[in-house]
Amino acid sequence: MILKNIKLIILLIMPVWLFSQSIVNTVHNLSVSGPGQIKATTETEICIFCHTPHNSKPLSPLWNRNDPGLNYTLYNSTTTQATIGQPDGASILCLSCHDGTIALGNVLSRQADIDFSMGITTMPPGNTNLTTDLANDHPVSFVYNSSLAAADGELVDPVNLVWPVMLENDKLQCTTCHDPHKNTYTDFLVVTSKYSELCTQCHEKNYWISSSHRNSIATWNGSGNNPWFHTPYTSVSENACENCHNPHNAGLDQRLLNFPVEENNCLDCHNGNVASKNIQVQLNKPYSHNVYNYNLIHDAAESALVLTKHVECEDCHNPHAARNLSASAPNVRGANVGTIGINLNGSDVDPVQYEYEICFRCHADSPDKPASPTSRQIEQNNVRLEFDIGNPSFHPVAGPGTNPDCPSLISPLTESSMIYCTDCHASDGASSPAGPHGSVYPHILKFNYTTADYTPESYQAYELCYQCHDRNVIIGGGNNFQERVHKKHIVGEDAPCNACHDPHGISNTQGNSTNNTHLINFDINIVHPTGMGQLYFQDLGSFSGRCTLRCHGRNHRRKSY
Amino acid sequence: MKTLIKLFTGLFLFFIVQVGMGQGITSSAHDFSGDTWNATGEICVVCHTPHNAIDGASPLWNHELSTQTYTLYTSFTLDATMGQPDGNSKLCLSCHDGTVAVDNFGGTTDGNDYITGEANLGTDLSNDHPISFTYDATLASDDGGLFDPSTTDSGLGGSIDADMLFDGKLQCASCHDPHNNANGNFLVMSNDASALCLTCHDK
Repeated sequence: MILKNIKLIILLIMPVWLFSQSIVNTVHNLSVSGPGQIKATTETEICIFCHTPHNSKPLSPLWNRNDPGLNYTLYNSTTTQATIGQPDGASILCLSCHDGTIALGNVLSRQADIDFSMGITTMPPGNTNLTTDLANDHPVSFVYNSSLAAADGELVDPVNLVWPVMLENDKLQCTTCHDPHKNTYTDFLVVTSKYSELCTQCHEKNYWISSSHRNSIATWNGSGNNPWFHTPYTSVSENACENCHNPHNAGLDQRLLNFPVEENNCLDCHNGNVASKNIQVQLNKPYSHNVYNYNLIHDAAESALVLTKHVECEDCHNPHAARNLSASAPNVRGANVGTIGINLNGSDVDPVQYEYEICFRCHADSPDKPASPTSRQIEQNNVRLEFDIGNPSFHPVAGPGTNPDCPSLISPLTESSMIYCTDCHASDGASSPAGPHGSVYPHILKFNYTTADYTPESYQAYELCYQCHDRNVIIGGGNNFQERVHKKHIVGEDAPCNACHDPHGISNTQGNSTNNTHLINFDINIVHPTGMGQLYFQDLGSFSGRCTLRCHGRNHRRKSY
Repeated sequence: MKTLIKLFTGLFLFFIVQVGMGQGITSSAHDFSGDTWNATGEICVVCHTPHNAIDGASPLWNHELSTQTYTLYTSFTLDATMGQPDGNSKLCLSCHDGTVAVDNFGGTTDGNDYITGEANLGTDLSNDHPISFTYDATLASDDGGLFDPSTTDSGLGGSIDADMLFDGKLQCASCHDPHNNANGNFLVMSNDASALCLTCHDK
């Protein structure tokens, strides 16, 4: 008797369990018994809204609705290798409701449309109505085969796809991601979108496995806009791909980004509300890599050498790769790994090994590169040439410097140390994030660097230089060189460092190891030729040199020290 | 408790009897006794004969069979092995494929009345639910969206296999009872809430 009772209880419970993951309890049950807002007024059949056992059209899977027969605007991108055609297969079936053109109750097996509550006929506007513009939706109805995976380089070979992720006759369709009959996860997804588990069934982005955008457990502090407006997830790692991308109704069509303005896809988190550093504040400073100035000029498919002047976050950062990982100069830091660049020889590199290779994209051979701020005896705007390690002198960005004896260097720096471009060019402020995002100082310098003539010497005036070069050694005097050269000019004559020194370096295509050691390349608005038209520095060996020039109204003729 | 079980059993039997005593074939769309093309004025004779039935076509078949080869249903999600219609589905198609005159019964072969409208499935069965395939636990397991017919209640008293399949195959008669139109479309049970579809389809 007890056994019988148990059987009875099991039988009573079973249907409930069986229905728990059934279409019956989903919003795809459009019958009067459906749980959603959009449902029929009296129709009790559930399958009928999509299927009919006889006289179906198009044929399988026994479809009960008309093909919309429309021409859709398709997804297009400079970085897709797929041939995306008009929707077909299962996708056109989904679109027979989800493009919003055919009444939900318009089924083949009924003479008249099935009536819907609230007077609804076609799919109401909103996220589920994709419209006939599919440019902002993940592409469908394209052949996804091994060749596509190989051509793309960042897609899983589809022979390795595992159920329930399925292609239809080699094509990706709506049903690859969605199972219209089961809403086990949200949005009828076949695999959970948490941690982008679904996306990564197909997408295998280079470097992604160690990316902070995949692994960070950072959460939103509740200020400003919710950066995760289209998911139920509450941390960076849970949102993963969807931190930036939106598979449907994306704000920016190409690459399906959340927001139409490129930088907004980054700054919704990097504004102090999710990420620990506030980049937005830096970009709002008077001197910045002004990402706000450019719109839709950057292209993910662009060459490493930037041909049309612009700057966006992803020119220097690869959001699929960026991670919190320190490095020492010149090696690229975690925030910039996985980006493309130009190496010291002027060749493309992917990915960059050294940070300066990123800077070379715009500041070296680019035809649209920014001009040099100081007019010099030797003009050179190509920083790749300025930092070449074959130069007579250069700041040690691409290799240790040429000067074997530099007593002003503050420990632990030595003559064999190397530095980053971003040691000088970075956001000002002690706690500011690394990198040249924005500064209150011109040329996005980390510290003040006064270049005007007749500047009374102070720590503040040359704060940038004094970070590495000990002020006491530079202007303290004590020996012939220090008294007669640095102290005499910087303190005695109120001349700026920049008057005699070209901080990047002097290209060996223009300068030489007699006249251009020690970064000597005069500012010709301060240092002038003599009456005889002569203007040069001559290296005479260790702490010894000779100048012929006219400065502050006085001539030096072969004046030596 | 015993009383309760008796009560449930009673209700259940009452329900079965109700269904069993439904409309019947008389006056249904399958009652051709009043049709001009049926000079006999009988009901059963269009399909059945007590004697000299067509060889190999049980139950006592009296209507000329179709010799057509059919276009079968295909789908990339279909796991069943499809074959040409067989079993009792051949009998249904002797009228419902539209190639044999409905009045070609009892040895007559020169009839000229043909089935029309939605009831005419034609010889292209690719837009119709598949039939004449083996539906067993293996298929259910392969498909993942079907109930196991050997263990799933049909809603008609026993398992799907026992109540709705014929030699383990799904046929027209799995869904349709040609003699009883109590549920409309000669369905074997009400399709309210798509109950008939969801008997087999685990969606």
